[in-house]
Amino acid sequence: MAAFLPSFETPALLFFVEVLVGGLLSGLMYSLVALGFVLIYKASGVFNFAQGAMVFFAVLSFVGFQELGLPFWAALPVTIGLMILVGMATERMVLRPLVNQNENTLLMATIGLAFVIEGLAQLAWGVDVRRIELGIKDEPIMWLADRTGIFVSQLDIVAGVVAGVMVIVLSILFSATKAGRGLRAVADDPAAALSVGIPLKQIWMLVWATAGVVALVAGMLWGARSGVQFALVLLALKAMPVLIIGGFTSVPGVIVAGLIVGATEKLAEVYIGPAFGGGIEGWAPYMLAVFFLFIRPEGLFGEKIIRRV
Amino acid sequence: MAEQTSKPKTFPKLLLRNAAARGADPAIREKSRGVWRTMTWAQFADETEAVAAALMARDLKRGAHVAFLSGNRPRLYVAMAATHWAGAVATPLFEDSPPEEIAPLLQQAGVTHIFAEDQEQVDKALRILPTCPSVRFIIYDKDRGMRHYKQPQLVSYADLLRDGRARLAAQPGATRMEAERGQGEDAAFLFFTSGATGPVRGVVHTHAGLIERAETAAAMDKLTAADLALAYLPPAWIGQSLFSYGQSLATGYCICCPESIETLFTDMREIGPTYFLAPPSVLELLVSRVELRMQDAGAIKRGLYKMFMALARRVGDKILSGRGVFIGSRLAYALGGLVIYGPLKDVLGLSRVRVAYTAGDAVSPAVLGFFRALGVNVKQLYGATETGFFVAMQRDRGVRPDTVGPAAEGVEVKLTPQREILVRSPGLFKEYLRDPQATAAVKTPDGFFHTGDAGRLDDDGHLRLLDRVADIGALANGALFSPGRIENRLRFSPYIKQAAVFGDRRETVCALIDIDTAAVGAWADTHEIAFTGHADLAAREEVSALIAEEIAKANADLAADPSLAGAQVSRFLLLHKELDPDDGALTRMRELRRGVVAARHAPLIEAMHAGRPRVQFDAEVMHEDGSVTTAEVDLRISDAKTFPPAPSMKAA
Amino acid sequence: MMDMSPLTTHTRAFPIGAPILELNGISLRFGGVKALTNISFDIREHEVRAIIGPNGAGKSSMLNVINGMYRPQEGSITFRGQKYARMTPTRAAHMGIARTFQNIALFKGMTVLDNLMAGRNLKMRAGVLEVALQLPRARREEIESREAVEEIIEFLEIEHIRKTPVARLPYGLQKRVELGRALAAEPKILLLDEPMAGMNIEEKQDMSRFILDVNDHYGTTVVLIEHDMGVVMDISDRVVVLDYGKKIGDGTPDEVRSNQDVIDAYLGVAH
Repeated sequence: MAAFLPSFETPALLFFVEVLVGGLLSGLMYSLVALGFVLIYKASGVFNFAQGAMVFFAVLSFVGFQELGLPFWAALPVTIGLMILVGMATERMVLRPLVNQNENTLLMATIGLAFVIEGLAQLAWGVDVRRIELGIKDEPIMWLADRTGIFVSQLDIVAGVVAGVMVIVLSILFSATKAGRGLRAVADDPAAALSVGIPLKQIWMLVWATAGVVALVAGMLWGARSGVQFALVLLALKAMPVLIIGGFTSVPGVIVAGLIVGATEKLAEVYIGPAFGGGIEGWAPYMLAVFFLFIRPEGLFGEKIIRRV
Repeated sequence: MAEQTSKPKTFPKLLLRNAAARGADPAIREKSRGVWRTMTWAQFADETEAVAAALMARDLKRGAHVAFLSGNRPRLYVAMAATHWAGAVATPLFEDSPPEEIAPLLQQAGVTHIFAEDQEQVDKALRILPTCPSVRFIIYDKDRGMRHYKQPQLVSYADLLRDGRARLAAQPGATRMEAERGQGEDAAFLFFTSGATGPVRGVVHTHAGLIERAETAAAMDKLTAADLALAYLPPAWIGQSLFSYGQSLATGYCICCPESIETLFTDMREIGPTYFLAPPSVLELLVSRVELRMQDAGAIKRGLYKMFMALARRVGDKILSGRGVFIGSRLAYALGGLVIYGPLKDVLGLSRVRVAYTAGDAVSPAVLGFFRALGVNVKQLYGATETGFFVAMQRDRGVRPDTVGPAAEGVEVKLTPQREILVRSPGLFKEYLRDPQATAAVKTPDGFFHTGDAGRLDDDGHLRLLDRVADIGALANGALFSPGRIENRLRFSPYIKQAAVFGDRRETVCALIDIDTAAVGAWADTHEIAFTGHADLAAREEVSALIAEEIAKANADLAADPSLAGAQVSRFLLLHKELDPDDGALTRMRELRRGVVAARHAPLIEAMHAGRPRVQFDAEVMHEDGSVTTAEVDLRISDAKTFPPAPSMKAA
Repeated sequence: MMDMSPLTTHTRAFPIGAPILELNGISLRFGGVKALTNISFDIREHEVRAIIGPNGAGKSSMLNVINGMYRPQEGSITFRGQKYARMTPTRAAHMGIARTFQNIALFKGMTVLDNLMAGRNLKMRAGVLEVALQLPRARREEIESREAVEEIIEFLEIEHIRKTPVARLPYGLQKRVELGRALAAEPKILLLDEPMAGMNIEEKQDMSRFILDVNDHYGTTVVLIEHDMGVVMDISDRVVVLDYGKKIGDGTPDEVRSNQDVIDAYLGVAH
């Protein structure tokens, strides 16, 4: 088995690979957050400002249920159920009344929604920073370290695998399949979608509920790393460069973009960070996004905006 | 010779040989309903035998004629092979010909069976049925819309095949014997000449003659069963029938039929042909597609394209022809291959092309150069319907834009004192159908064929085409006037689709110009000239000025050639309506019928020669709602700049 | 010029049958405005039924009532003997009613192929989980639908634009694609809202041919709205004439043409 693993002779190369792998794995976690945005954007053409709030709400509720005495395996389905309810309620109370309004109106509505969800979360569960126990340690995997000399955190690996699986399932669901076409059809022309029997409300509910579940998973993984705290809301901002690079409508796009952002950010921090006095991790992805806006405004996998004269 | 007796000399025998030797290999592929479907050689032979059995049961006699009104479809080729199997003669016709054009051909050949692709073609066949009593059966391929047709002559291909299979099951062996009876000297094809310069004549070719040509040409380019060709041109053109039927049977390569003519380029990209035949018009279309894409491309891409194309035009052809190129340029060209040429060839569907021919018309050096620069081995070929196509072919590493290459193997070419090209070849036609007089008029006793084309043989054996012998004339001042060459040069302009020049026994040369609506329209767009359509474009003063410039460029080239310098185009007008094969101005292969054009536009030509600035002309105008009325059109006549003959070349 | 008369006498593969859809006393108001007043007529199986009338006569409203987009204040709709006080677009779709829209309502960002595939939504029964996990039924349905859609693509001769996003297509082709999307549902009844509006003569002829071919080939009942009388009269079996939301004529094209009310109200006005 070990024979298949590469062995690295030079420490410099070893270090590079370690940084790269760490970057790629954390990039997948960005993808996971961005995925929630893509789903909503695809189905209703709106940038859901509340996605960060949903991440926060989801994981806070999960921890809250555990504090109430529910074991892990009970808290999880209960929270998933709650997120589905939140998604459906959002569709029902916010989006449906706003059908056929323009994008700006919808964007404003999601900003409002973000505040409501944040408020609800803190109202219900308090404002303390919590720890989330997933039973996965944020420690290097020794087996891998012994054999290849690369130190990769268990949590990163799990996060990567979970993100990968969700992405694969969701990209199948929303690619050239019935559900994927339904989603886009609804976004393009609701009346026509109805006329071919695509159930508008169900599609929207499906999307919001899925976005809720994705938010929960992202929240759990991020919470395990940096604590369950209000700052999770800001993940939405981290997702921006991923969305710009990957394209707002593409599931595979956000995965690739997440990997690019993760790798760029870590490599930049380690290799060119010192020249700037460090701390470039925070803004390097935005620079990259701006660069992409110049050369490929529709993103790597996004659809070209078609202008007809 | 022992080898000769064992070699199959008829198409059905070749088919059976292929079915035995490579039965499971693909013979014909067709894209249908979004999927490429394959017919193997075994299936091809099997289906052909069944169809042949059914056709013979429907009175198809040896030596009878079967007309084909169909595009490139597997069933067309099966029916063609079945026709040959039964010893009959295949007569492919142009699908887009109207009934009144087809009726005389059917009468002349005494056609007994018609293969029609679809309802549209069946309708056409049924309309001319009363005037063609020899027709016994009409076989149709696609049954859409055919449900209500009750004519006794009609039979669907599917029913025919079913019936044939039943007959084969009942009487095995009988049909196979019919294929064995076929001899190389039997007539295989009847092609009609395009009638560009004279009456339409039926040209009879034998199995042996065409097979010999197909095999020799294939051997010259080392074609094998692994090659792949696209069948997309009208089978009524001998070139297409040889590429998609004759040579495929001779070498065993697979042909691919595109889904429709609109999907041609996508389909071509999907299959990636290795052997490609394209008239210059198709090559021009490909070039203009590239140029259009580049107009829309970003600045970086466009800059790279310009830079690498400039390099390719300098060294690409040399590298392709194996001539010396500096290592630095070679490296740069290799890089260009990665960045530009490769992706471009892929988009055009040409990345796998090993051998490509352009034939049927004069190709502009710029267009030919474009493809050769990219490393696509496009070569010129010269042939006529009567010569079994392949007469002269450019060889790899011996491509020059101004010649059509040396004579193909087995072909003897010589010139009369009047420079008419005479051809003797094993692939020469047998005769003009039921017209021994016409046959005798073009065939010398020692077996040479008068092509009617004027040409020149270079010292190294390369053949140059000049013009039709009959067309070459002189201006009133005695200067040589060769309309074909002037028109060719004019058509090399992307803005000029067709040109007809007139000057024999006149003071000056004048031209009727048919502008290329798409190209001129794009030009007008970039120059912010609003227009409503072809007629409007042609009436624009700016467009006249554009064409005047193009003609001046052509004149400059003519001035450099001593034999042409005396007859440059001095006046022209832009036709308000496109020349169309449907009114006889062009042949079905889009060649100019100068005589027809002259007769129809006589007042225009007179006005140009008389030096008038404008001319009024009664023309048919088609309105938006489809109705046609006659209206007086007012056309502008413009002057074009001419040049003194190039001084250094005066010696000639 | 050759004789261009039809080569066949038309014998229907699907003879016109009993009424499949009946509209009884339909009245529709928007606020105080009466769009439709007490309209009754029936649509027989396999026929081509036209609803004509000048602009603003209530034709589109009528179609929207049949399809459930509008809910009439009075009247009922009977489909195969079953009476409904109201229709919804979803119910109509399930009953086999497909439609096109006057102002083309295609899924603009999607390709022609995806638009047609979306039209088969109701023919595909696999649930979300089956699709996400690509279970056999979901995969099989996808392939079957693709085959059915390819047949329509061939039928409508749109192979060359299969992978083109519809927003890039010219108007006439978009209309054809929209017809394709409706056909993809294998409808019993096809509602066409001004299928030839804005087309040139050639496109109109093509569209007429497609409509007749659909009716002939699949036996689909066609209900179409047009204000251009010429084409409609040629391809319809029966015609309803509306004017100011009221029915003023109903019958074969010949009957309608000779109806004095129609001549006064419609022909006299329009031309």
